Amino acid sequence: MNHLFLPHTDPVGLALRGFARAHAPLVQLHEDPLFVTATAPHPDRRTALVSGGGSGHEPLHTGFVGRGMLDAAVPGRIFASPHNRQVYEASRAVAREQGVIHIVKNYTGDRINFGIADERLRADGIKVQRVLVDDDLATESDRTATGRRGTGATVAVEKILGSAADTGLGLDELALLGREVAGASRSLAVAGRAHTSPSRGGEAFTLAPDEIEYGVGIHGERAATTIDRPALDNVAERMTTELLESLPSTREGVLLLVNGLGATTALELYAVHELVSQILEKRGIDVAARLVGSYVPALDMSGFSLTLTALRPGWLDLWQKPARTPAFPATERFA
Amino acid sequence: MTTIDQSRVVRTYARAARTAHEALTALDQISGDGDFGDNLRDGLDATVAALDAGPDVSATAVAGSVFLDEVGGTSGPLIGLLFNEVSRALNETADDRAGWTEGVRSGLAAIQRVGEADPGDRTLVDALVPALDALAGGGSWTNVAEAALSGASATADVRARRGRASYLGERAVGSPDPGATGLALLFWALARVAEPDARLGDVQELVPVPRGPEQTGTR
Repeated sequence: MNHLFLPHTDPVGLALRGFARAHAPLVQLHEDPLFVTATAPHPDRRTALVSGGGSGHEPLHTGFVGRGMLDAAVPGRIFASPHNRQVYEASRAVAREQGVIHIVKNYTGDRINFGIADERLRADGIKVQRVLVDDDLATESDRTATGRRGTGATVAVEKILGSAADTGLGLDELALLGREVAGASRSLAVAGRAHTSPSRGGEAFTLAPDEIEYGVGIHGERAATTIDRPALDNVAERMTTELLESLPSTREGVLLLVNGLGATTALELYAVHELVSQILEKRGIDVAARLVGSYVPALDMSGFSLTLTALRPGWLDLWQKPARTPAFPATERFA
Repeated sequence: MTTIDQSRVVRTYARAARTAHEALTALDQISGDGDFGDNLRDGLDATVAALDAGPDVSATAVAGSVFLDEVGGTSGPLIGLLFNEVSRALNETADDRAGWTEGVRSGLAAIQRVGEADPGDRTLVDALVPALDALAGGGSWTNVAEAALSGASATADVRARRGRASYLGERAVGSPDPGATGLALLFWALARVAEPDARLGDVQELVPVPRGPEQTGTR
């Protein structure tokens, strides 16, 4: 039976110390409570950007701390929300004169813990606005009050808001922009094999060899449907079609993220990317920017997610501005 | 005129949480992840330890800090928000009733902002709303406790829309929400201190340990 190569005691703390050591010029680790801050954020920034959530989705969010993206990231235990004290102290450490934006993926625990931190920050006179990321189409339902989960679109929100924050944008303008980007984004994920259970080892859930989980969550939440494994181009076609149906229309093209869920190879991701690109091209959809890689995985799940963001004027420039973080790739061209 | 000793309320609440620990744990195993009994007891014990070490501070302020900074889960820190508001309100008036009423009112508002829960969603709110109504309506402290306890009991009849129990649907129906039950004990403790001679049940009878899984109404 497979086990993760992590110690039972404080795996997240150990990994974060290793992360901070590896990326020392860009990030700084704070141990009590646990959070990561950027060492050299842009001097023009007037509003701080703080995100966080359960661990197991690396490089999200710590890998996006640095100039051009987040001021701080707050990691919880594996798949568990960070404690409100981490969010509170991290926000206090990086707050600017305009206040702090919290970028929160839509999960009950994250909403509540970030919310408690909001209350405490407001009591201290620090202004806070929340940008909730809720892009996962698989969880769209009128039957519950919880809404869609937040997944891959977090990368688009953190990058676009990061560039915008560096232009000196104020708290309210940034919050509005963040909500627009999140609202214009939808994701869907499929898995062929579950992640390794961090507590007991072995697969967290089992699928037959000829099945895939269509609409899986990034913590191994089972999808509404387990389906017979279709040919890859059929999966890509179905996912792309469903995403486009729920995406707002745009004249600026789309941003495409092909994201690995942890155990999916780059070879597979580029193959998926090519198929999805051909499908979009056939339908006359302009892919203005793209990102391929494992940016929001679910530990070592085998599978991938697609995220589309319907761009609006100005967003592409913000996406393409250079960022200096441990995980975001270079986007600038050589002159 | 301030006559209700905050420190005695918190200490009485801590004893109640220890007595109810088994019942709260069992209730949370039905509808949540089973840690609420531990979180409430440990948070109050840590508060009492801090009061023993430095008794010249507001007991509700200490409880607020401990529950916000040290207690895990989600209900614990939400109770911390309530203690903070109660502490702030009691600081601003010499009138116990006015202070507790205003504190519970603004604590409830903070909890609702954060938890986005309405009455009837099977959360802490279901103990706080009736307690606030009784506080504001001028009932005795014992009436306030009874209102909070019956509000908590009534959560046994509803299906959760928020919080972790919302994932369980019908399976949690039949047993009350552990958070609402645990929070109702704060008002039980308050009544015990304010009106020691009034008739109010013991914690064991008010918060019984739920019987086996046949009570949880699976299917």
